[in-house]
Amino acid sequence: MNLFSLASRRLPCAGAVAQQSFTATVTEVNKKMVKLFGAGGFKGLPSYGTGVLVSSKGHILTCNNHILSSTDLRVHLYDGRFYHAKVLFREPELDVALVKVLDDVDFLPHYEIDKAAAAALAEAGDWVLAFSNCFHIATRDEPMSIQHGVISAYAELRGRRGVFDAPFAGEVYFVDAIANNPGAAGGIITNRKGALLGIVGRELKNTLSDTWINYAIPVQARVDIVREDKTESVDMRTFVKEAIAGTYKQSEKRKNKEDRGGYHGIVLVPNAVGVTPPYVEEVLLGSPAAAAGLRPDDLIVYIDGELVPSIKVFRDIMKQVGPGTEIKLEVQRGSKLKGVKLKLTDLNKVKAAK
Amino acid sequence: MMNGALYQVKDPLMNMPRRFVLVALAVTVLVCGARAQQDALQSEADRVAVVAAIKPSVVAIFARGGQGGGTGVLISDDGFALTNFHVVQPTGPTMQCGLPDGVLYDAVLVGLDKVGDVALVKLLPKTAGQKFPAAVLGDSETVREGDWSIAMGNPFLLATDFNPTVTFGLVSGVHRYQYPAGTILEYTDCIQVDASINPGNSGGPLFNMKGELIGINGRGSFDKRGRVNSGVGYAISINQIKNFMGHLQAGLDCDHASLGALVTTQTEKTGLGRMVVTSMLEDSDVARRGLELEDEVLAFAGRAVTSVNHYRNVLGLYPRGWRLPLEYRRDQTRKEVLVRLMGVQRRALDDPNPPKEDAPKPKVDNAPKGPPSPAAKYFEAKAGFANYFFNKREQDRLLQAFRRHGDFTSVAGNWTLDGGIRLKKLRTESKARIDIVEEKDGTSAKPVIRLKIDDFPYALEPFKGGQEAAALRAPETSGGLLAAMYVYHRLLTQGAKGFTEFSHGGHEPLYPPPLPGADPTLPGLAALRVDAEVLNTRHGPFLTKWFFALADQKLLGFELRLNENEDPCEVYLSDYRPVDGRQLPHRMQVQYGDGHYGTFRFNSFAMQK
Repeated sequence: MNLFSLASRRLPCAGAVAQQSFTATVTEVNKKMVKLFGAGGFKGLPSYGTGVLVSSKGHILTCNNHILSSTDLRVHLYDGRFYHAKVLFREPELDVALVKVLDDVDFLPHYEIDKAAAAALAEAGDWVLAFSNCFHIATRDEPMSIQHGVISAYAELRGRRGVFDAPFAGEVYFVDAIANNPGAAGGIITNRKGALLGIVGRELKNTLSDTWINYAIPVQARVDIVREDKTESVDMRTFVKEAIAGTYKQSEKRKNKEDRGGYHGIVLVPNAVGVTPPYVEEVLLGSPAAAAGLRPDDLIVYIDGELVPSIKVFRDIMKQVGPGTEIKLEVQRGSKLKGVKLKLTDLNKVKAAK
Repeated sequence: MMNGALYQVKDPLMNMPRRFVLVALAVTVLVCGARAQQDALQSEADRVAVVAAIKPSVVAIFARGGQGGGTGVLISDDGFALTNFHVVQPTGPTMQCGLPDGVLYDAVLVGLDKVGDVALVKLLPKTAGQKFPAAVLGDSETVREGDWSIAMGNPFLLATDFNPTVTFGLVSGVHRYQYPAGTILEYTDCIQVDASINPGNSGGPLFNMKGELIGINGRGSFDKRGRVNSGVGYAISINQIKNFMGHLQAGLDCDHASLGALVTTQTEKTGLGRMVVTSMLEDSDVARRGLELEDEVLAFAGRAVTSVNHYRNVLGLYPRGWRLPLEYRRDQTRKEVLVRLMGVQRRALDDPNPPKEDAPKPKVDNAPKGPPSPAAKYFEAKAGFANYFFNKREQDRLLQAFRRHGDFTSVAGNWTLDGGIRLKKLRTESKARIDIVEEKDGTSAKPVIRLKIDDFPYALEPFKGGQEAAALRAPETSGGLLAAMYVYHRLLTQGAKGFTEFSHGGHEPLYPPPLPGADPTLPGLAALRVDAEVLNTRHGPFLTKWFFALADQKLLGFELRLNENEDPCEVYLSDYRPVDGRQLPHRMQVQYGDGHYGTFRFNSFAMQK
């Protein structure tokens, strides 16, 4: 028996040429990617993003971020076809959402989530290609931007944006490509053959080192969520399949963290309806809000990039902002949007001073 | 490590003892791993070899005195190098360039494309006949998303010994458009890379893996991480630069192009969009050629236009004044016309700070202290030119080569051209005679041009006072044939001296009409294109653009107009044959607007001293 003859028979080696061009792979993957447009458009909050098709009928998996809070969500396919779309389901604990094209489309190139999730996890050192519409470079039928890199580590995400912790708390692929840029969230990383590995995440800083990180949530991601008072385990594949079928049940909101908020001096209008928007009724004299230039009738729209649709959300957010922290608000005054920097102080110190 | 599934062992091994199977697999892994390692080592060796081959052409550019800086790349062995406009903006017209062999050269600015962010400079050789190591220009149309690329330059000005830094990455996108945000620099049709591009890389080369120059790096997308590489860099494509090369070498301060029409994407509720003309400048060539609002633009210069980015990209490839085919659709009919590009409205360049800071902050003083640079004697400032010295050089070279076809300085007197003309599309030929004369008018002489077609006489005194523009365009429907003959005589007999304004205009395409009797089923206007080098002249009210063949500087044709925004009288010369030792065109085709005036056939030329 000749062992060498075995060895020479079509070995599944890592490619004949270590430096081949990826043009063919890129062309195929690009057909499964979409450009998303929605809410945002201020500095730090782009109104564009990326998504990936997970069904032939136009179901799109993307990041559960601010652009989806638009009532006019729009999609461009790889060939420039334009459609309106809407969010079907979200899962904040996985930091993903499923969007659907609002037209009868079919036969769209897409990824099968079953196949992707059944594959083994990629490992540190594995090559990856990242696909996204970062910086809104591509419009209409222009292709996604691609980058190359390796998986640097598979580890727990400890990320934050401004004062807020990242929604996803599980293990992610960290990559050495600078993949997490404006508009890249919802993009994908693949292996060199174009197989789906993960969903590109948000622009976050590591909470321990305060440095920018580049990461993607693996398609095999699984988290524990609380649903109907029960703790259950949900993975990306289940979310996608149940969302496409229309049967997914979103997790309940996480329990509020204890109130460690600082003093701001904003008095909002009474919370009459359950979803009263956060209009400022009064700004206390000498308070940080007064110093920041806030005025009665201002409507608080964003806090550090987070949409604030109601007084309840405002209060939940402010509970997490400690004294001494400076946050950036976007408020609507009349017909204009104004950016305001607000530095919270220690209420105890204020009381003591009086 | 092996990719994916293990090798499935077939029957013979199924019956083997387990030990054998394990050994077989181990050998497979070793051999496979060894193969992959071999590949990787070979690729590494290839990269090292490519870098070594291209490194000598990479230039470190500094202002005199050593402050500031960026990168450039040599493209000819006599010392021409490409870089970004924003690299030479702080240095001024003279600068210093270091090559990786450690030698520092003085250099002078040659040509500028400010909107496109390109500059051509020339290094001064240290010895006569010195040959510089030049990069080989590639074809950026062959670059694909997913290809590998190499960038070389001086990011963060690390290279105090002029040895460039090498970065390596993927082509992330091609035909990308980057809006001029806050500056006039518009990056059209550029190559996007994830090879690290940082301040200091500006003006430097982007190479493909064959070591060919495919772009000039100059820009990046930056956001929260500050002005350092964020995974997205851009290079101006070399094919765009090639279109401007003739202009740059002629020392021009180029202008980019606009169609004079606003084109936007219109989508019905959903689906694909159409590119539709939504507004147009009345005095644009595209309006004169018959384009109307609501027409659907299909392609320009042979490139399909399916988005506003595509449209902006294709326009950014060409200098103002170039003539290119436009394909559009109205109702269900496709039409194709040749369109002359207008200039863009450029904002005044009064911002002294380059948009991409290539240096740590020291201010650069444009007036260098101490003795002037040795390169200063190769620089001549003149409004509208980056460096008039090189324009004069190109003019002289062109005229000298042109004169080899025939020196007409000794026959500067009256001329008579005799022959026939086939007017418009008539099948029969009429007799034709052109006289270019000077007639005595008392004590002075006045130029008169006469044309006789059969028994119909036409005449023009170009400098008779009180004439309307229409008279200067005689005969009617020719656009100014008589005036054209006058300036033709003047160029051949007097050269540059005969004109108040005379300059080299770089390179432009020319579209000689098909000859009478030629196959009417031509494969589109692009097939008619001939690239030429251009002289621009002014004499009295006449603006003329002259087209010379690139290969031998034969005069292929010329256009005469009274002002910029109108159709010219187009004259095409061919069938050159020697007469008294001088080459003369025995055929002359005349066009005006969308009409063909006629084709002349000359039998005899009489030229007096």
